[in-house]
Amino acid sequence: MSRVAPTSGSKLLYLLCICISGLFIYMDLNYKSFEGIKHTYKSFVVSSNYFLKLVTVDLVTDLHQMTKQKSQLIAENKKLKLELDNSYLDNFIISNDSKFFADDQSIQNFLNLNKITKTFHLAKIDYFDAEQFLCCSKHRFFIETFNPHDLDFLDSPVINKTGILGQIINTKSIYEVLLLTDTSHVMPIFSGNNFCNARGSGNPGLIKCTFNSLIWEGSVEIGQEFFSSGMGGVYPKGVLIGEVSDIREIEENIFEFDINLKANPLDSNVVGVIENL
Amino acid sequence: MKKIGLFKFLLIIFLANIVESFFAPYLIKAFISFPITFLAYSLTIYNSSKNINPFAPLMIGFFVDLISDTPFGLNALLFCLMSYTINSYSNTFKLFSYIQICIFFSASAVFYVGFKYLFINLENFSYLVLLVSFIFNTFLFMFIAMVKNYFPSMSINYYE
Repeated sequence: MSRVAPTSGSKLLYLLCICISGLFIYMDLNYKSFEGIKHTYKSFVVSSNYFLKLVTVDLVTDLHQMTKQKSQLIAENKKLKLELDNSYLDNFIISNDSKFFADDQSIQNFLNLNKITKTFHLAKIDYFDAEQFLCCSKHRFFIETFNPHDLDFLDSPVINKTGILGQIINTKSIYEVLLLTDTSHVMPIFSGNNFCNARGSGNPGLIKCTFNSLIWEGSVEIGQEFFSSGMGGVYPKGVLIGEVSDIREIEENIFEFDINLKANPLDSNVVGVIENL
Repeated sequence: MKKIGLFKFLLIIFLANIVESFFAPYLIKAFISFPITFLAYSLTIYNSSKNINPFAPLMIGFFVDLISDTPFGLNALLFCLMSYTINSYSNTFKLFSYIQICIFFSASAVFYVGFKYLFINLENFSYLVLLVSFIFNTFLFMFIAMVKNYFPSMSINYYE
C-alpha cells in the first residue's frame, strides 16, 4: 500500500511544529526556561537508580548472604570488624557521621598546602555524565554533601586532592557543579604581573586564555605556571591552576594559550566544598 | 515492521539513547559520531505503512531532548524535518536502490550531527568528524542491507 504525500494542511502543521521547536530552542538557550524540568528529570533518574539498586542488587546480595552458613557469617563479621577498626585508625574518621568511608585527609592536605583556612565539607559525586565531559562542551556534575546543617553553598568552590574543580551553580535539589573546563565558565588567573580571564575550552583538562602582547609584560612560555587570582570572589587566591601547554597567535599582537589543569574531576568520587569566601 | 505502538516506539527510542550514550565516548575517539536514536526514529518512520501525525515527531523530539540533556526543541525540530522529508519522498524511495537509500540516511545522520554540534558543541565543531561519520555510516548501512539480502535465510519460503 503506497503512502500519501503530505497534504497542504499537513505541511502547514509541520511548519507550525518546526516554528514551535525553534521557539523552544530560543527560550532554552537564552532564558534557560526548561532547567527546572531537566533538573527534576535528573533527580528522578538518580533516585530511580538508587531505588532500583536497593530492590535488585542489594536484595539479591542480602539473600545470598542469608544463605551462607552461620559460621561463615561469624568469621566474615570478625574479619570485617577488624578491617573496620583498621579503617578507623588509618583514616581518622568520625563514626557518627554519614561520611564514614570518605577520606577527607587528602583534601585537608591540599588546603593546608595552599594555606586556605576556610572550613570545607565533604561531598559525594551523585551523577557525572562522563560522555558529555569527554565529547562536549557542557562539563558538570552533581554532588550531595554530608553536611547536616542548612548552609548555602551557592557559588562555593569545589575541590579534590588534585586542585580546584569548579563552583556550585545550583543548590535547589542536588548541588550542580560547573567545572573549570565548561565553555561557559570564566576564571580570573595570574602569573607574575600578568592577569587574564581563563575560559573553559570544552575539552577535558584544558582552559584557554587570550592576551595582547602590547599590554602584557614579558611573554608567556610553555610550562609557565598560572594561579588563581581570587578576583572573581569565588575561588581562593594563589592556588596553582595549571601550566601553559600551547601558545598560538590568533590576530596581530593577540595571542591565545592553553593551560593544562592540575585538577582532574575523574580522580575521586569524593570532593570538598569550601564555604563561601 | 509496518505498525508500531507509541509505548513500544518510545521504549525503542529510550533504549537507543542508552546504547548511543554507551558507545559515543569510544566512537568519538575515532572521529565518528553515530546518532543511533535519530536513526532508530528515522528507520521506524521509513518502515511505517502510514504517514505519522506532525505532532508526534514534535513530542518524541521533546522526549529525546529531555533524556539526552540537549536544548529543548533541538531534536523536535530535526525529527519534524526528517518526518516531513520521509513522508514526502516515501513513494520516491521505492525507485531508489539500496545504495541511494544508504547514502540518504548517512547524509541525514551527518546533517543531524552537524546541526546538533552547532547548538551544543560549537567550540569543537569538526568537519573531519562529519566526513568520517558520513563514510562510516554509509558503509555500515550498506553492510546491514547486504546482510539482510545476502545472508542465508533461516526460514523456508513456500511461494518461490
